Amino acid sequence: MLRLNPQTIKKLKRFRQIKRGYYSFLILMVMLGLFVVGELLINNRALVVKYEGEWYFPTYSAFHPGTDFGFPYTYETNYRELKQRFAEENSGNWVLLPLVPYSPNENHSTTGIFRPEAPSAANQHYLGTDSTSRDILARLFYGTRTALFFAMAFTLATYVIGIAIGAAMGYFGGLFDLLFQRVIEIWSNVPFLYMVIIIFSVIPAAFSIFTRISILLTVMVLFSWTSMTYYMRTETYKQKVRDYVASARLIGSSNTRIIFKHILPNVLATLVTFMPFTVIAAVTAITALDFLGFGLPPPTPSLGELLKQGTANLRTAPWIVTSAFGTLVVLLTLVTFIGEAIRESFDPKKFTVYK
Amino acid sequence: MIRTVRNMLSGVVLAATLLACGGATEQAEVRDNTQEVLDYYAAHPDLFQFKTLADLPADLVWERGEGLPDLGSPDAKKGGTQYGSIQDFPRTLRYVGPDSNGAFRTWILDDVTLPLALKHPDTDYDFYPALASEWALDEENGIVYARLDPAARWSDGEAITVDDFMFMFFFNRSEYIVAPWYNNYYNITFSNITKYDDHTLSVTMNTKKPDFAYQALDLRPEPQHFYKELGEDFVERYQWRFVPTTGPYVIRDEDLIPGRSVTLTRLQDWWAKDKKYFANRYNVDRIVLNVIRDANNVFESFKRGDIDQFGLNLAEHWYEKLPNTDPDVANGYIHKSVFYNQRPRPNYGLWMNTSRPMLDDQNVRLGIQYASNWDLVIESFFRGDYSRMHTANDGFGSFSHPTIRARPFDIDKALEHFALAGFTTRGPDGILVNEQGQRLAFTITTGYPTFADILTILREEAAKAGLEFRIEVLDQTAGWQKVQEKQHDIGFVALGVGTEMYARFWDYYHSDNAYDDAFLEDGSVNPDRKIKVQTNNMEVLASYELDQMIDQFVASNDVDEMRELSHRMQEFVYEYASFVPGFVQDFYRIGHWRWVKYPEFFNHKSPSLATELHVHWIDEQLKQETLAARRAGQAFEPQIRVYDQYRMQ
Repeated sequence: MLRLNPQTIKKLKRFRQIKRGYYSFLILMVMLGLFVVGELLINNRALVVKYEGEWYFPTYSAFHPGTDFGFPYTYETNYRELKQRFAEENSGNWVLLPLVPYSPNENHSTTGIFRPEAPSAANQHYLGTDSTSRDILARLFYGTRTALFFAMAFTLATYVIGIAIGAAMGYFGGLFDLLFQRVIEIWSNVPFLYMVIIIFSVIPAAFSIFTRISILLTVMVLFSWTSMTYYMRTETYKQKVRDYVASARLIGSSNTRIIFKHILPNVLATLVTFMPFTVIAAVTAITALDFLGFGLPPPTPSLGELLKQGTANLRTAPWIVTSAFGTLVVLLTLVTFIGEAIRESFDPKKFTVYK
Repeated sequence: MIRTVRNMLSGVVLAATLLACGGATEQAEVRDNTQEVLDYYAAHPDLFQFKTLADLPADLVWERGEGLPDLGSPDAKKGGTQYGSIQDFPRTLRYVGPDSNGAFRTWILDDVTLPLALKHPDTDYDFYPALASEWALDEENGIVYARLDPAARWSDGEAITVDDFMFMFFFNRSEYIVAPWYNNYYNITFSNITKYDDHTLSVTMNTKKPDFAYQALDLRPEPQHFYKELGEDFVERYQWRFVPTTGPYVIRDEDLIPGRSVTLTRLQDWWAKDKKYFANRYNVDRIVLNVIRDANNVFESFKRGDIDQFGLNLAEHWYEKLPNTDPDVANGYIHKSVFYNQRPRPNYGLWMNTSRPMLDDQNVRLGIQYASNWDLVIESFFRGDYSRMHTANDGFGSFSHPTIRARPFDIDKALEHFALAGFTTRGPDGILVNEQGQRLAFTITTGYPTFADILTILREEAAKAGLEFRIEVLDQTAGWQKVQEKQHDIGFVALGVGTEMYARFWDYYHSDNAYDDAFLEDGSVNPDRKIKVQTNNMEVLASYELDQMIDQFVASNDVDEMRELSHRMQEFVYEYASFVPGFVQDFYRIGHWRWVKYPEFFNHKSPSLATELHVHWIDEQLKQETLAARRAGQAFEPQIRVYDQYRMQ
């Protein structure tokens, strides 16, 4: 059982009281929950198929060739057609499709021509289609999912590295601090965007999407952990001369124990307040890279790619840019609200008075 | 005190530097290469010969290109200013050497300067006079004789003489110009130029091909008087000097605004302005080209009326951004025109690297042919406007194969061929796997971000046949480089094809361009061969049998034999199946404001751009009228015109 210290509980209570941030947090959590089970909501694979007395759950299973359901072809079943066929046959077979029955990559045109189509509930393209008739809602959903999960992994990684190195610098000080500071100064002057572009241009396309995202993540983390160390270092410097650290050292605590058990909880407030902004920075960075064409290879759905299409078709298909832009605004606003609320609730001035 | 001394010192240093520079420039300006050129002529007596008119063969049949259809319209009016755009400010005003082969070159070389004679755009291999008033062909020996028009003048007033043609060889074979392609071309194509008098010359070809007259008559002289200072520093020295031209347009120094715009001005007293084939062309007085980098902004400028014409080749532009219902079109301010032309076209398609594992298997290649759904791309993405390409060598008249048709999208046939190659079972994602567990997946590399959508459509369709296409979109240079380095699995690229008589086979298919020493003496595969990079054999196709045909083709000067060989080679390539033909665009479409006028028939048969032959004109009065009408909301008859006189069925 997780036992929080009373200070933290107070802070969390305070956070709940800041309604704007709290509800933003709840909305974001719901969104994350939806993203995790995204395939059940937006997908061209059926949720459930009942065919000739057998049950099928294609969403997470291996693909079912058309022949499984009495189609003549051996490629993946088109479940929308299957549903239509079952309805016509009226033989007790049925298909349950997700809310949005399209995958983000399939070209589905109602006219036979691949062009942006305006939002239409009748066609179940709730946000319309893009320039090659792919469902925008599906692309937006999966694009945002990638961006958000990417941002969270990015934040976690930069924090782990930034905190460890920053705390070490502050705690050990001296030559170690001096050297590492210079290393960081040099390292942080390497233009990060160019490095990503250069590295990404030499990655073979044969790598899977997941590998590519991991590489992108690694590269971005490599160039982004530095800013965290500054805060961590100064905070640690401040804390390490306090009496409680001296006492801990007197009773023989190891350095690791002192840093992680005693100092870290005391500097957490500073770190936590930065977290939402790191998330925002990561979302913006991956969107910008995709917008510039250096992100994930087509046809991977992404916010940046949608924005790019949107700006190219500003006049003829405004629904592309509004969806992508709207999503970005909502996402970034939510995170910012959460960030503000965290900062406020973790603000020490509320609880202590320095004398 | 110290500061004063320092300032004085720096003043002295500055003055000294200026003096030094001034000295250097002055020294450079007296450079005169007349003697160097003469020495060069003397050192190459076979190439440069000097004879007299008495040495001219007596039995020559002189041609004047008479009786060909006129070019342009007699209604054309001279005058007006045309506004256009360029994507980048030109990096140089030179038209040879580094950075010169850009899109801007058409404005200072390709479309505006004159060679000896030009190929008539409506007929097959008939020529009309340009710099030469008449010419004669010696078919047997591959010699072209020409008499220059005595009226011909450079734009700076100097007469154009045979010396400028002699100098052209010196210039283009010189190391100074840093242009290996030109060096090589002028070294291997021609064996002799002879001066008979100031206006009579002959040029001899190294090998006499059926289209030798085209190669010789297309020679464009270089102004010897202008290149007197030619030397090691050519690239810098001539970077921003406008080369005197044989054509109608010049660029004045004050019209070159770095980073912003370039303006061309028509020579009012151009020497050829009243000649039969030029009288109704080159009508616009001033052509202003503003730098607009973003393609969407170019379109917006056009819609505002800042630019007179805009290419509407993409379905997106023709149907979505400027539909017939657009107020400017419906009210007749902007006219839309489709013009069907006839010419060899860029060979868009999938070039498979046959040196790669799996792609070296003919059955895999055949499977890929049947699994590529170009018909859907053409129907749905291009809206049926484009057509399917059938071979990489379409558009060469009788040299193109009459019956070969590209393989259609056919899942069953694709699966059949993949099965023959060992790919029989589908993995959990529907992609075929062979017994060794290899997935049937290939990367398509392209340098055309605008066509990335096409590849995503192909990808979705290919998955139905159990084939995975991974898509790699690079920028133009990087994409091209990757294919040239033969690092690709499958490349989606196209090479521009000129209006030549027959296709180039050696470049694309000869083993010389695939491997170093591809075969041993007896025709068997050399086990130590290495892939040759930076060639146009993008399929790394090496076949001893095909090599024989290509060698025979290159050596041949018999049209019938070459035609027969051309067909046989295309059949071979079709069977080999390493190129999936994509699409061809057999027309161009433009939107132009009402004040841009074109001849009744719009344009001639072969141009790929409406402005290529400069047959249009600008009616300034109509411009004022149209803009006033647009402000007042007064409408004209909408004009959406289709010119299909040259449409191939």
